[in-house]
Amino acid sequence: MNDKKNTNEILKLADELRWEIGNDFHDALAESIHADAAQIAAVAVSYDDKKPQFDMDRTIDRIVTSPWLGFPIMFLLLAGVFWVTIEGSNIPSGYLASILVDTVHPALKAFADSINTPFWLSGVLIDGAYLAMAWVIAVMLPPMAIFFPIFSLLEDFGYLPRVAFNMDNLYRRVGAHGKQALTMSMGFGCNAAGVVAARIIDSPRERLIAIITNNFSLCNGRWPTQILIATIFIGATAPAHLAGIVSAGAVVGVAVLGIFSSLVVSWFLSRTVLKGEASAFSLELPPYRPPRILQTLYTSLIDRTLFVLWRAIVFAFPAGIVIWLVANIHIGGAAVAEIFIDWTNPFGILIGLNGVILLAYIIAIPANEIVIPTVLMLTVLVSSISGVGGGSGVMFELDSIEATSSILHAGGWTLLTGICLMLFSLLHNPCSTTIYTIYKETGSVKWTLISTFLPIAMGLVVCFTVAQLWYLLA
Amino acid sequence: MELILIAIVIVLLLVILYPKIGSLAARKSMNASNERIYVEDALKHIYDCEYKNINGTVQSIAGNLNISYDRAAKLAERLESLGMIITGDVLRLTAEGRSYALRVIRVHRLWERYLADETSIPEKEWHLNAELKEHDISAIEAEALSVQLGNPVYDPHGDPIPTVNGELPEKNWKPLSSLQSGDVARIVHIEDEPNTVYAQLVAEGLYPGMHVKVIETSSERIKFEANGEEVIIAPLFAGNISIAPLAEFETIPEKYKTLLELKRGQEAEVIGLSKACRGTQRRRLMDLGVVPGSKISNEFISTWGDPIAYKICGATIGLRRKQAKQIFIKPGKTESAKA
Amino acid sequence: MNDKGCETCPVYKPGNLIRHGINMTDFDFVIALAGNPNTGKSTVFNNLTGLRQHTGNWPGKTVSRAEGAFSFNEKKFKIVDLPGTYSLLSTSQDEEIARDFILFGRPDVTVVVVDATRLERNLNLVLQVLEITEKAVLCVNLIDEAERNKITIDDRSLSRELGIPVVLAAARQKKGMPELLNYIHAVASGNYKCKPHRISSETRELKSAVEKLSTRILKQLPHLPNARWVALRLLDGDQRMIDAVRNGELEELFKPDDGNQNLMSVPNI
Ligand SMILES: Nc1nc2c(ncn2[C@@H]2O[C@H](COP(=O)(O)OP(=O)(O)OP(=O)(O)O)[C@@H](O)[C@H]2O)c(=O)[nH]1
Ligand SMILES: [Mg+2]
Repeated sequence: MNDKKNTNEILKLADELRWEIGNDFHDALAESIHADAAQIAAVAVSYDDKKPQFDMDRTIDRIVTSPWLGFPIMFLLLAGVFWVTIEGSNIPSGYLASILVDTVHPALKAFADSINTPFWLSGVLIDGAYLAMAWVIAVMLPPMAIFFPIFSLLEDFGYLPRVAFNMDNLYRRVGAHGKQALTMSMGFGCNAAGVVAARIIDSPRERLIAIITNNFSLCNGRWPTQILIATIFIGATAPAHLAGIVSAGAVVGVAVLGIFSSLVVSWFLSRTVLKGEASAFSLELPPYRPPRILQTLYTSLIDRTLFVLWRAIVFAFPAGIVIWLVANIHIGGAAVAEIFIDWTNPFGILIGLNGVILLAYIIAIPANEIVIPTVLMLTVLVSSISGVGGGSGVMFELDSIEATSSILHAGGWTLLTGICLMLFSLLHNPCSTTIYTIYKETGSVKWTLISTFLPIAMGLVVCFTVAQLWYLLA
Repeated sequence: MELILIAIVIVLLLVILYPKIGSLAARKSMNASNERIYVEDALKHIYDCEYKNINGTVQSIAGNLNISYDRAAKLAERLESLGMIITGDVLRLTAEGRSYALRVIRVHRLWERYLADETSIPEKEWHLNAELKEHDISAIEAEALSVQLGNPVYDPHGDPIPTVNGELPEKNWKPLSSLQSGDVARIVHIEDEPNTVYAQLVAEGLYPGMHVKVIETSSERIKFEANGEEVIIAPLFAGNISIAPLAEFETIPEKYKTLLELKRGQEAEVIGLSKACRGTQRRRLMDLGVVPGSKISNEFISTWGDPIAYKICGATIGLRRKQAKQIFIKPGKTESAKA
Repeated sequence: MNDKGCETCPVYKPGNLIRHGINMTDFDFVIALAGNPNTGKSTVFNNLTGLRQHTGNWPGKTVSRAEGAFSFNEKKFKIVDLPGTYSLLSTSQDEEIARDFILFGRPDVTVVVVDATRLERNLNLVLQVLEITEKAVLCVNLIDEAERNKITIDDRSLSRELGIPVVLAAARQKKGMPELLNYIHAVASGNYKCKPHRISSETRELKSAVEKLSTRILKQLPHLPNARWVALRLLDGDQRMIDAVRNGELEELFKPDDGNQNLMSVPNI
């Protein structure tokens, strides 16, 4: 009781004093701390007055931020990273697939048969869960093992803040914060990480914008899809020796479209629900530091790559089971999957996709990584191509891009389907982990829902428009 | 089906969210008949009169709220029946009326503080915006806002914000018109009513926190220096500006250059931050070393000209042009070596 | 002051430091790693714990706190890597975790990691930390970059001015880590008595306000080691502090005889 009175007295005294000091309290305090700091520094720090003639950092900075070179350098670096990833992961991916899918899978099946496992059990576990995981490893491990280290090297070098510095002008115009470029870069790795990284933005309004739009940066779960589809449908339109570059260009195009979407949505948000002008921007640009290559390779391989891969595997396991089940549970003679696909196909065609893709996206809500295997499996199921794959509900890997391509073409896929799939893969709901992270960071159901549904709405609109234009012109 | 459902959810979301968006103006006119707003505005007016030692009357309510005399008289009656005021020649607030008025004023000033610190809504719009908001924010929301803003004690005009318990400090201001030539002082408050006068004072670039030095006074005009620029206003207008004597450690600055004027490769010394730079951004800049006396130089400019990278306390820091304009500097030597 | 002899050792004296990674049971002391963004806190953390907390060359890499453990001279230490912060005075959200932990987490030793090339600005944070706690060690990191930029730091006079031990380090090259460990141990066990610098160039107005309020606070909570800081935060309108005063958390936290028991009242993030 007495305590309560005492503490209230303290707080009251504080209030009175605050009125006395006025608004300048913080200024006065900050200045006095600085004065002390300057005094101490004057005693303890000495500079050699002979400034070096050549300031490496500033020279690099003046190049990477120069009016003519700034953006070309940025795009070239981005394209370079993708190109190296695409070119480099092709062969190991096929290799992994031939081991995990072509060798281990039949062996597992044979083993299951030899011990008389019931067909549904070996179906669910081996044809469903195991194959889903095998596919995820084959498709994701090589690109991630290349992409993450390169990205970490850029990060360690100190280039990322310069990107934010250059991009800030755009973000300012749409009422957002330049550091959003940093959170987007983090989003290239993983959207959930990007959402958390948005804490570096001071203004709550701009932070929310950064969180909502983070989904527009392609995460590692999505660009295997981008790379594969770009290679099959877009790279194929170019002469063979240019295919790699053209595919990389297409992927960069989609990534840039993602950045563009994030700008448009930021603009829209800061004109409507999150009304306001851009606030302040201050970003420390650290000195360039030569990256420690071996260490970076090691850490990003062990930590990031394996960590993300592990997550993908964990999600692929149950999804594989679901895929097997929808393909094998029959209602009135047709598999559940078939019924759904037939039913949604007209709508899918309307937006340049098809029922298979729509079903795949619903199954893949927990993790985007498994979209492509699901798509392939379902395509086979519906177009009933004989001689490929292992029967209904079996996800399989095709040893070569050409085989995949022929399946998809046989399934009625066109260049339009490819383009729309790439667009839809960019513009759709965030994965479950990201949605949960958004909820944790914002603490608001409303913003979580908006971040979830806004991208899908955009995806539908964009795909619809592209498809209709295509039908008109073709 | 799923997709149709999703579409429906999106449409619903938009419908739910839209009414909250910037439709304040609509709400105000929609609720023009809303008794609560009149009650609160009248209480605030009477409180204001008491604070400034002028007489609050039915007539002045009518003038202030822009309603007819009869309407104002009815309002006064209603306030009395609510136990908020005691009528007479001069209207007086009861204890209850005063605490009610202070609650409304608290919300108003907190909201102005919020607009100033956390948004880029122009200064001219703060007051009107807050006039609408003050009837709109619940006590709980107001406290959350206060916490978010670091429990401010003054609004951006220099008016004290009443505490939750309705306490206010003693005031020690004088009107600018009371100064003699040669006097120096700091603007602590610019009266935001009537709006026309306020708008003009803002247009002159005056704001609380500014240092002024009176050059000459006459019955027609007062000429003074504010941040190094000469301003001439009528004494009537000067009456709407309140000042507090300058403490000895504060000095009257010369005409300032801003950081924005610094060319690439040039170096300067920081003199101070404009008072127009507020809230989090001000704190952040000071944390980064933008305090009087520190050295600052223009290092390089981003691809599209904005932001600009400055070297502050040995660190390279990117700042937007708008912020650079709020940092006052004293140009120093130009760096000779060009990389 | 500085044990220069050890700088010749290639790595740590083997056997003295045992890294425990994330195994944090039964620790004797809690160490907090604070500092401006991008000064190498996570690099120091990784050196001491053997963990691989992400590092990156941009401010704001670490956004939530990470914990790890190591043993040194038969004592077990839990160490907490905090997100970088420019100041403990602001209200911004990314600095909240560090701000709250240094005061309410009551670490036994706070290691402030500063950037040798930007020492003056970094000292602001050091001075603020010293208002909160006297058990601190200064780790002047990135000394290799300072050398390259021809900046010389006199650790002795720095230590004299600040009243706490100072170590010159290059965490990436693992330089200065043995000395850092020695000092952490010495300060934690009370063998090294810090006489921390207190902010002294306040304006008269400020000084008298802080004095008035902290005197009043000390009357109520005589055992508070940092009444001045509490006063400063109250004068700044910090809600976290107002609440802590109001609901008795502060009193609870700084009870006279709680030894080195640690009340971890900061929520896990
Ligand atoms: N040259 C040099 N670089 C270092 C040293 N210590 C750390 N670095 C580099 O500095 C950068 C920042 O290091 P971090 O450990 O991530 O810094 P931090 O203080 O944790 O940063 P935040 O989490 O953003 O606050 C990294 O690129 C490190 O490799 C050093 O002693 N010398
Ligand atoms: Mg860190």
